[in-house]
Amino acid sequence: MKKMENNRSSDGVWIFGDCRNHFQNRVTLQLIAKGKELAETLNTEVTVLVLGEQVHQYAMEYTAHGADVVMVAEHPGLKYYQVEMYTAVIARWIEASKPDILLAGATSFGREFFPRLAKRVHTGLSADCIGLEVDPETGNLLQTTPAFGGELLAEVVTSRHRPQMATVRPGVFQELQHNSKATGRILYPEIDVQPEQRVQLLGSQRQQVRKNNLEEAQVVVVGGRGLGSKEQFELVSELAELLEGEVGATRPAVLAGWSEEERLLGQTGKAVKPRLLISIGTSGALQYTAGIHGAETIIAINRDPRAPIFKMADLGLVGDSTTLLPLLLEALRKRIKNHYLEHIASSVRTSGGA
Amino acid sequence: MNIVVCIKQVPDERTIRIDWKAMTILREGVDSIINPLDYVALEAALDLRRRAGGRVTAVSMGPPQSEGSLREALAAGADHGILLTDPAFAGSDTLATSHVLARAISKIRPLPDLVLCGMQTIDSDTGHVGPQIAEELNLPQVCGVMEIHLKGDSLVVKRLNDGFLDTIRITLPGLLSVNQGLCCVTHLPLGALEIAFSQRSIARWGLKELGLSEEEVGVRGSATRVQRLHPPASDREGELVSGSPHVLVDRLTHKLEALRILDEEDGK
Amino acid sequence: MRLEPTMKQAVIRRTVKKFADTRLAGAAVEMDKTGRFPWDIAREMAALQYFGLEIPIDYGGAGLDAVSSAMVVEEISRANAAMGLCVSVHNSVSAYPIYRFGNHDQHERFLLPLASGDKIGTFCLTEPNAGSDTASIESTATLKGDEYVLNGNKIFVTNGGISGINLILARVDPAENGGGFTVFIVESDRKGLEKGPPEDLMGMRGNPVCPISLNDCCVPGENILGKAGEGMKIVLSSLSGGRIGIGAQALGIAQASLDVSLKYARERYQFGKSLLEFEPIQKFLADMAIRIEGARLLIYRASNLKDKGLGYAIESAMAKLYASEVAVDATRMGVQIHGGYGYTKAYPIERYYRDAKVCEIYEGTSEIQRMVIARSLLREKGGPRGLGERPQSSASRDRGERGL
Repeated sequence: MKKMENNRSSDGVWIFGDCRNHFQNRVTLQLIAKGKELAETLNTEVTVLVLGEQVHQYAMEYTAHGADVVMVAEHPGLKYYQVEMYTAVIARWIEASKPDILLAGATSFGREFFPRLAKRVHTGLSADCIGLEVDPETGNLLQTTPAFGGELLAEVVTSRHRPQMATVRPGVFQELQHNSKATGRILYPEIDVQPEQRVQLLGSQRQQVRKNNLEEAQVVVVGGRGLGSKEQFELVSELAELLEGEVGATRPAVLAGWSEEERLLGQTGKAVKPRLLISIGTSGALQYTAGIHGAETIIAINRDPRAPIFKMADLGLVGDSTTLLPLLLEALRKRIKNHYLEHIASSVRTSGGA
Repeated sequence: MNIVVCIKQVPDERTIRIDWKAMTILREGVDSIINPLDYVALEAALDLRRRAGGRVTAVSMGPPQSEGSLREALAAGADHGILLTDPAFAGSDTLATSHVLARAISKIRPLPDLVLCGMQTIDSDTGHVGPQIAEELNLPQVCGVMEIHLKGDSLVVKRLNDGFLDTIRITLPGLLSVNQGLCCVTHLPLGALEIAFSQRSIARWGLKELGLSEEEVGVRGSATRVQRLHPPASDREGELVSGSPHVLVDRLTHKLEALRILDEEDGK
Repeated sequence: MRLEPTMKQAVIRRTVKKFADTRLAGAAVEMDKTGRFPWDIAREMAALQYFGLEIPIDYGGAGLDAVSSAMVVEEISRANAAMGLCVSVHNSVSAYPIYRFGNHDQHERFLLPLASGDKIGTFCLTEPNAGSDTASIESTATLKGDEYVLNGNKIFVTNGGISGINLILARVDPAENGGGFTVFIVESDRKGLEKGPPEDLMGMRGNPVCPISLNDCCVPGENILGKAGEGMKIVLSSLSGGRIGIGAQALGIAQASLDVSLKYARERYQFGKSLLEFEPIQKFLADMAIRIEGARLLIYRASNLKDKGLGYAIESAMAKLYASEVAVDATRMGVQIHGGYGYTKAYPIERYYRDAKVCEIYEGTSEIQRMVIARSLLREKGGPRGLGERPQSSASRDRGERGL
């Protein structure tokens, strides 16, 4: 990307360092990676903001993943996320340093406090971005956000105000590898923390949110005629369960008695819009695919490389589901076990779930 | 308890059409509805009024035809309806919109104890207006509320926040944005609609009544601007892979990793 | 002259559409399969004043104008034609005549429970030997003291199986005081009124259409609607409103057909193209759309005249006739567009096809409507009427149909 002249009054790509849990932490790392790309084009640095109590290890982690600067605010009052306290601290930092860009992950907290912060410093904010680019002519940040539930994409620009703020959808960008040799400056700017009186967290309970509704599911695994038998269809159910998703079926699978009418997808069935849809043993008849256009990512498995379903898929695997499914289930079970252990380790670190 | 509910009339998502030249949603001849989560907020307000007494005022910023939604709110049981409409408001982003709404709310007498709005709209999907109104009016806020309990001069609310169910006390006056699951949305009786149209009145406030200047609203009062609208790319990447079962399984698990499907998910 | 709906009408339409989509559409399949009337849904509708559409708010009705009322019936029928039939008939030929022709006492006893949906209403006209030829009915009402003894057999009574209040046309002996056709209000639990089993119908299943027989059913004089001998006048006036209702019902079915056919044609691919790109399919869809628009305008015109207190008998005949033929046409084209799938129960179009047919038959067959319209033309001086000029026809004035 073309490097820009550094002739503007606002400077720096700032990233809100959400470090509460394993998931949010990964989002921060994804943003640092993208931030680095933007910073390079703009000839500036990436700064990560970390607020909390005993957060020094995050500062180190963020520099190892690409941050040039980390600004840390450590205070017992900041231990749990509080909209107004965080807004107050960061607003003062913004006033002092005038960054060009400020990003946060579109987590529940990010989407709750960023608008308040944007209003306090009177600037523009876009929500849930799935694309960020620097306009080569103006140097402005081009922010691509979904509208109408994703039916349309809007390209948003904040041209006359700074910082240009955006919340970013988790999983869109790829984090950089950990580089233990990377260095960065860790700063502890002065803060004035006023305790929060009006909003008080009384308790917080971890939720196992299991959506039983196909239309709301984030992951859908669909079985079609190509599976060949009810036993094979059962493997589809197992896969769905492993991925914490829902099971869908095509009309031939329902007619064969392998699944119920309620799981039918397509013209006379349901339309789904999950983050991931895996379609196994389905040819891709339009009566069926009419129901799956809304999926973010489609992976298809079919024996026939000419099957129409592959035109609709982001990733197509040409193979026999009878052989693939058992192998896939085995590999995933192993993977998930490792992730679970890692997660237990990280949740011990951040217990209290603020 | 005096409650203000912010309502937005939005195009029915099943019937949207785009003006590709003007980069806006066409509002003529398109079915309009009350933004579903704003309806939930309205039902929540009516429920609180049942429990604690007081008044419910519905406020909506929009073109003149937004009056229809306010009449629906009256038919549902709101005590008053205020339409914030002025040609100068057109093209407002959330910064300008929250400014207009906050100014209007500050002029309502008696002053409201609680402001309710839907967590986000089905057309803009930002969820910004609630928190920005709260900031301008210096109100405490909680977003994504799914349960509301009265506790003296505070409220105790529950909401899902990144995989956790939080229980939070918020002092009044305050602002809550609500999520699905808070209230069952009921259907409107036809007679109530008839009365709402023929016997009730809606206040109309523009720049003058709100004491605002043109620079504070509309395009001039906005910080963000939509430069382009386009449908998502309809062709998918279509990477086709063949090979031994192990190769295929490997490719698939890598893809799942990249999509973060195998990580602990949050509550979205 | 306004041809666009008012804001109020637009809001009413979308309110009913929301209810119909969430509560009625799903029940339609079940109703069609089992023929069972969904009381739970009917009770919800009653609470929302769907059973008192044009009845004033003071009586517990919704107080709507005729145009809004037609929209309500259309939107209900779009999702669930059998329910639309129930609501239309209850409102236009049972509750409304009692409102229009009943005295204060009858309003208290009968109109209130009908408007609140506490009781469902019917109008019993047809007999085994009297279909289109209403005047040849054989049901009799013989005066005995201050009561009338009713005897007769009514068939094809819409809402019959679920009704609590029934309007019954019978002949009082011409030699008697005020003889001739008379409408009696007969409660379903009155001794001597018996309901037979519901018909096994081609369509509109779920509406319990039953025979109702009267065997020495004693009915007090207070239950006469209007005056003895005024029966025909009440029947004709009620049918005018009824025609608008059935027209709206047919329109709903036609609109539903267009909606699903458009969706199917968009998503179905043959010969490498979407069906939408083939001319014969485009012709079907365009024809459906044009005719639906025409039917809608005729229905609104008739309703609008009714709201203004002008005669609307001919206009409502035109609306009913045209809309019902549009519904039959549109559903036929709809099945054709769906091809083989249209013949299966997996798609709703076959139900629309079966539901539509009866619209050409009940509340005055298409043949009768044509005769009525032709006769009115023959009676007119000064040429055919149109939207531009609106003299009240002498025919409708003769029948005393003002503001009905």
